[in-house]
Amino acid sequence: MLMLEHEAKALLRFVGIETPRGETRKAGERRPWGGAYPIAVKAQVPGGGRGKQGGVLRADDAQQMQRAVDEIFGMSFAGEVPSAVLLEPWVPIRRELYLSLAVDAQADGYVLLYAPQGGIHIEDGPPPTAYRFGAPEAFRVHEFRAVLESCESDYRVREKVVVLGQRLVATAAAHDCTTIEINPLAQLESDELVALDAKIVRDEWAAFRNTAIKNLIDEEHTRADPYLRASLEMKHMYVRLDGDIGLISGGAGMTMAAMDMIAAQGGRPACFLDASPGPTSTRGYRPAIAMLDADPAVKVILVSIFGGGTQMQRVANAMKELMPERKSDKPMVFRLDGTNVHEVPGILAAFGARNCDTLEEAVGEAVRLARSAA
Amino acid sequence: MSILLDRSNRVLVQGVTGAMGTFFVEDAGRYGTQIVAGVSPGRDGTVVGGVPVFKNVAAACAATGADTSMVFVPPAQVLGAVVEAIEAGCRLVVATADEVPVRDAIAIRTLARQKGAAFVGPNTPGIISPGKAKMGFMPSFCYAPGRVGVISRSGSLSYESCKRLTLNGFGQSTVIGIGGDPIKGTTAGEALGHFHADPETDAILYLGEIGGSEEEFVAAYARSTGAKPVAALIVGAVAPPGKKMGHAAALIGSKAEGHAAKLALLRNAGVHVAHALEGVVDAMRSALATCQSHNQDIPLRSKRA
Repeated sequence: MLMLEHEAKALLRFVGIETPRGETRKAGERRPWGGAYPIAVKAQVPGGGRGKQGGVLRADDAQQMQRAVDEIFGMSFAGEVPSAVLLEPWVPIRRELYLSLAVDAQADGYVLLYAPQGGIHIEDGPPPTAYRFGAPEAFRVHEFRAVLESCESDYRVREKVVVLGQRLVATAAAHDCTTIEINPLAQLESDELVALDAKIVRDEWAAFRNTAIKNLIDEEHTRADPYLRASLEMKHMYVRLDGDIGLISGGAGMTMAAMDMIAAQGGRPACFLDASPGPTSTRGYRPAIAMLDADPAVKVILVSIFGGGTQMQRVANAMKELMPERKSDKPMVFRLDGTNVHEVPGILAAFGARNCDTLEEAVGEAVRLARSAA
Repeated sequence: MSILLDRSNRVLVQGVTGAMGTFFVEDAGRYGTQIVAGVSPGRDGTVVGGVPVFKNVAAACAATGADTSMVFVPPAQVLGAVVEAIEAGCRLVVATADEVPVRDAIAIRTLARQKGAAFVGPNTPGIISPGKAKMGFMPSFCYAPGRVGVISRSGSLSYESCKRLTLNGFGQSTVIGIGGDPIKGTTAGEALGHFHADPETDAILYLGEIGGSEEEFVAAYARSTGAKPVAALIVGAVAPPGKKMGHAAALIGSKAEGHAAKLALLRNAGVHVAHALEGVVDAMRSALATCQSHNQDIPLRSKRA
């Protein structure tokens, strides 16, 4: 679960990492900025690449500030409208550095990454230097310092980064963070290091022991429209895409394989929707089908499930029960396979549907139907 | 042979009195898995599916000689249960639960390495050595005994791919679900090491996805001297960057974690890369063709079980 920049910075300040002191504004909120100019006006959206897309503007007076705020609320970033803007003092920077903590398979746990030149073009430069230590208890200040000696020549900066790194490790462990990225970490004229931007990802599976994470999830559900909210409450994994084939699938890997096959056959998936984590019964599939039925972009619904623990006759029976409830006549294509699949054709036939033998066949059918509906 | 799991593993089931535990005793027992004990605190002295239930893992191991644990407990209890199994001396522990916090997975991984135990999970269907034993809930009919080792980050994708292999005559030595989480009990690198050492595995199929750096293990193995041939499928070609595709690890955070970069990495390392799911059997066939010349006496194709 990605925190918004201003939420992430609040957590950094909570653990003693310096950030500019900013204020947020919601859309339509006209409260003036009380501090000095110039300021940075920053779109608050989840996802990267905001700076490159014009989501950070500079304002030298109140008029410019209001114009920048209005401009940003009129923008969308990968389909997401900003939920707020962050106003911050525009600080003079001597150098932009990069510091992050991430979870990495090759580290068996956490890795710290540092680059002496950070900023929005970090990916174009040489890769950051990695200190892979794994478990938080295995982090050693002297090891991190030795790693930094290979890439940061200013020992005063190095010592500050060592301290920050140690704090990021403790924060990740205590607050269930899977990523803490500070880019840029700004070296000011005063030599002080300040987190100018922050991206923190919290581990949503830790919500059972962390109220802050639970609240973030609840807020996300509240922001969602009623259809999506119902689907999220069934624990479905949903990402909206810009196509017209509403894909209901089971398992992240098979969902992506089906998306890829739709694209390869010339179609466009309307979503990534993995329904396997929640109940795989009428109760579970009801909100997924209702959401796709209500979405005007969706022209056809493709149900593709390959189940092991999920028994296929139960999925087929759920579909049979849900058909009379539907308020839409969008065509549906089925491809069910896995445990007890032999019972599926009879159940689908009861409401005039057919089970495709292969994913290729089902995708072909869905692409054809989407095209004829367009 | 096979890796990690065969008929010799003496399996206990933690959480045996739950619905999944009870189903597993019946389903996996029928498949040939040697299930010797169940564990369910407070329910000791009862019997589930003919298997005696103990109050803790140590008691189950002492009474039955169990050396392997199948864990079916809720996510918040996985850390405690797996630590108990490892400290009781189990050589293999499998936990299928998803939604296990990363912090807990790191703690398990650290302990498993210290104690020299193998851990498979979390967020996995488990591991199956076709014709011998299964530890997990994968649909048995997708698999047949054979000489391809399969490593997968995704459960359902492994069922689909293995069914395609089986229908085309390519049986499997072992299929291991390393899971969709960023920290894995068994990494792709370790699984490759096990398959490399297994004389009855001729070639390896790797089923991966966008996000993470697991594929670097695969490329490193494929480049190494004397490596067995590797085929691979990476899904997520049309996934947008910055969005988590269901699995916690399936998030493109940098260019290296995207689909195109992973394909290029694997191709350059000599991996036989399937362009998509439809190509998985052909990729396997071309990988196996490269080892046929070395191992002409070994039958590469096996009959469906």
